[in-house]
Amino acid sequence: MNTKLNRRDFVSKSIWGATASVTLPGFIQQTLFNLDARAQSLPSQGGDGPIILLMEMAGGNDTLNTLIPYTNSIYRGARPEIRLGTEHNILQITDQDGPSVTGENEPLALHPNLTRFKEMWDDGELGIINGVGYPNPNLSHFKSFDYWHSAEPNGMPKDGWIGRYLDNQCDGCGATTGIYINRRPTFAFKSNAATSPSVTFQNPQFFNWRDKQILGREKSLEGLYRNLIGLDHETDDGVSEENDTLAYVQRSAHSAMISTESVQLAMERGGNLINPDWPSNGLANSLKVIAQLIKGRSDTSVYYARQGGYDTHNNQVLEDGPLSGRHFDLLQTLNGALGAFVDEMKAQGNWDRVVILTFSEFGRKVIQNGSYGTDHGAAETLFLMGGQVAGNQYYGLYPDLAEDARVSRNSMQYNVDFRTVYRSVLEKWMGVPPSAMSAIFPSPPRDFQPLDIIR
Amino acid sequence: MLNPLPQESWSRRNATHLLQRAGYGGSPEEQEAFYQLGKEQGIEVAVDSLLETSEDWSSLPWPDWMQSEVDPNGETFGNQGVRRREYVRWYFKLLLRSQPLASKLLKFFIDHFAVDSQTIGQYYRWIGMFRYTETLRRHAAGDLAGEDIPFEGDERLVAPGHYGNFKTLVNHVSWSVGMIRTLDLYRSNRGNVNENFGRELLELFAMGIGGEYSDDPEYSEEDVAVAADAFTGRKVYGFRYFPDENRYNNPAGDQNPPLPPASVWQNRGSQDRNTKGPFYGYETTPEGNPIIDGDDIIDVIFDTDRCAKHLSWKLWRYFASPKPSKELVAALASKLRDDHGYEIRPFLRDLFLSEEFYDESVVNAQIKDAGDYFVCLANQLGVTLPTRDAMEDVMQQLGYEVHLPPSIAGWPEPEGPGNTWLATGAMVFRMNMPSVFTHHNYEVFTTGRTRGSMDDFPDVDWNVIAPKELRRIEKFPLLLENLRQRFIPNRELRKSQVRTLLDRYSSVSDELGELEGVRELARLILALPEYQTH
Repeated sequence: MNTKLNRRDFVSKSIWGATASVTLPGFIQQTLFNLDARAQSLPSQGGDGPIILLMEMAGGNDTLNTLIPYTNSIYRGARPEIRLGTEHNILQITDQDGPSVTGENEPLALHPNLTRFKEMWDDGELGIINGVGYPNPNLSHFKSFDYWHSAEPNGMPKDGWIGRYLDNQCDGCGATTGIYINRRPTFAFKSNAATSPSVTFQNPQFFNWRDKQILGREKSLEGLYRNLIGLDHETDDGVSEENDTLAYVQRSAHSAMISTESVQLAMERGGNLINPDWPSNGLANSLKVIAQLIKGRSDTSVYYARQGGYDTHNNQVLEDGPLSGRHFDLLQTLNGALGAFVDEMKAQGNWDRVVILTFSEFGRKVIQNGSYGTDHGAAETLFLMGGQVAGNQYYGLYPDLAEDARVSRNSMQYNVDFRTVYRSVLEKWMGVPPSAMSAIFPSPPRDFQPLDIIR
Repeated sequence: MLNPLPQESWSRRNATHLLQRAGYGGSPEEQEAFYQLGKEQGIEVAVDSLLETSEDWSSLPWPDWMQSEVDPNGETFGNQGVRRREYVRWYFKLLLRSQPLASKLLKFFIDHFAVDSQTIGQYYRWIGMFRYTETLRRHAAGDLAGEDIPFEGDERLVAPGHYGNFKTLVNHVSWSVGMIRTLDLYRSNRGNVNENFGRELLELFAMGIGGEYSDDPEYSEEDVAVAADAFTGRKVYGFRYFPDENRYNNPAGDQNPPLPPASVWQNRGSQDRNTKGPFYGYETTPEGNPIIDGDDIIDVIFDTDRCAKHLSWKLWRYFASPKPSKELVAALASKLRDDHGYEIRPFLRDLFLSEEFYDESVVNAQIKDAGDYFVCLANQLGVTLPTRDAMEDVMQQLGYEVHLPPSIAGWPEPEGPGNTWLATGAMVFRMNMPSVFTHHNYEVFTTGRTRGSMDDFPDVDWNVIAPKELRRIEKFPLLLENLRQRFIPNRELRKSQVRTLLDRYSSVSDELGELEGVRELARLILALPEYQTH
């Protein structure tokens, strides 16, 4: 059985939307029963199109210690204890210095733990986007993440940028077009059309109907659930018209019902991973699930993974030097997990299908604080990786630390709006036409020219 | 606005709604008795009965290892896992056994003032978590008659132990090991400031940001810096000190009685004692004193409209509905600050008595958060807590690891901006999990150890849930009505659902007997979307 739902039905007919009953004549108002039946008759293809992997580094990554301006006297002066220099085996990028706002190029180096990043840079598979942010930066984790997730900074966002992308561009998509490996959902997937063809789960093994094997009722259980929530009724789709909250949960139940089987099928088809060497940590586990889904040809174009812990107000480095501490550990985890994922993609022959974009809700202040850490800042550096990425290349300009120390309370100024980065990925990688951008980005930045991030 | 609900509007629907929101609902018999109480003696009497405090502190003691005077935090990393699970289980025991409103408030505080056991760090982890939860619990229980329990830390630094007041609570939180460690306050010193606590005090604990519920000016980055300066020099004693070493000279120079291990104290040397300001436009505290330390900052904050509105908004969202109008928030804020001086229970009394609380847009408008979901389920089935291993597993799968919030903002609120409890995976788990209780189906647990730990778990008393005389197939409508009233009061089942349930009940009963039919029926009702709301 194929459990795909037709995305066009979701959106254009607003079947799951709250306004369906007032805007559509009765005969067009298909029941979920019809939708589901139709979905089941579609051929099962399995995905082979381009993939985005959004890699969220939650807490505010200190990108100054990630991509280090190691000769910069302001950097060195502002961070007497926590700075990294050549004595720490930083991975100097020797083939080119980073273009800077000052007009002088900035010699840069990757954190000593980012060995795989350095390899990808050298292989032309990693691009670096410096000075990314947005106007009037908000230093609250939660506001700033709302902005990054919605791509609507300084507003009161109602939905996510991926949600809008899927609403707008995803005709005939399956229910698992977006997959987030986490226990709690992301705002980025939130769709305006009542529900998004995206799912969020932590453990695929338990993303399934579980019953006592001895009673032999697993299959019947799923059938009963379908029936009870209205999926199997021709005249009663089970979605409340009176109560929005209930309607919301009913749609969640539908989404769960029609996506579990797709996920189980892809996991089963994926089987064992090819790369035997995965580190053992939460992020690696998430990326393993994603790799298995890709291998199993899950019909998914946006994957999303998260690594928390970047809010390094203290013990970012330990007192015995910057080759220890929280940031050191975080980047080690990130490097190991992403490295294993890249190896797996290459072994699967899928590396050319994937673009990985790292991001955080903000960077951190230039100056260190009183506890071997850094406080919330503004602009940050983003990394783009993939077999088709136009790598070994800088995008954006390295901020002027001297200027920033004066004008924005020790936070760095942005010169590339993050919405431009999002647009670049959608347009250059996912093939979204420029004409669709106004719907996906209702509040575009002033300079909204996509970057040439793909070869 | 906020006029009292007229007596003639008291109904079974409203009584049930109030029981669900001020607590975790009740059995069909309790719902009826509560309705009758309000009908015969008046709504105020019914509401007051929910506000009474009757906590038995002795019945929920800390585990033995926590009461050890030497080292309650575990000598080895090896026992951290056990301690973590015991903490989780203790917390859920509090939720299940406390007076319902106190339990609800504790759950609110745990989210509003989220602390992270991992950040608290190994040496202070469990003493930090238990003491902190206990402080929140006392505030949740309100001011206990005849009891004035001293605060955990250095009493002379903290307003006297008056519990159930939001301002006092914020003050106590700012002096607690749990929060001081979670937000780095212990490392924030004069001239070398860490802004973490100052920022979240303004954003999360008291004033809020954004224009969703308030048009009042936002605080500035300068205000964050001033607040951070004011909260400098708060330190934590090591817990391995022997009592004599805990003596220190207070500012007056005399020796003090020893502080309990891991107490918080003020290091004057690393405190910024300068007069500060303006802070959020205030040159002095509302009483006209100079703004110097953190307590002064709290005095100013709680004078502002923004704070009164932020806290009213959060309490309304938690107890009532997700999107109160600005007018309603303003009216609530005036009650909270001006009428009640941030006393929580008197404020909630007004809230529970108000017409707005019983509006169509409020009744049944909430998705149960994971805590509500679990406690309701356990209460309605009359079951005890599963094993500590199982509790941890359940909470992980529900996305509610109480010792490890996803962020310092706590857990995503139901129907918040884009966030909801119902990740698809959590929804699947919520549909699977009731069978743990109805069928002892431990397949839903993620680890074999957890599954094995549940071997002796007692069965539900099915004679209470579904009396034998209702189990004959011809009594099905009565049986179903009985279960509906217990599990999803204020909800109706659709005809197609009733048909499906009847078919299933009759076939399972025929095949495996009536008891199995009842289990199956209960499990299916508990898996319905309707069950996730209240």
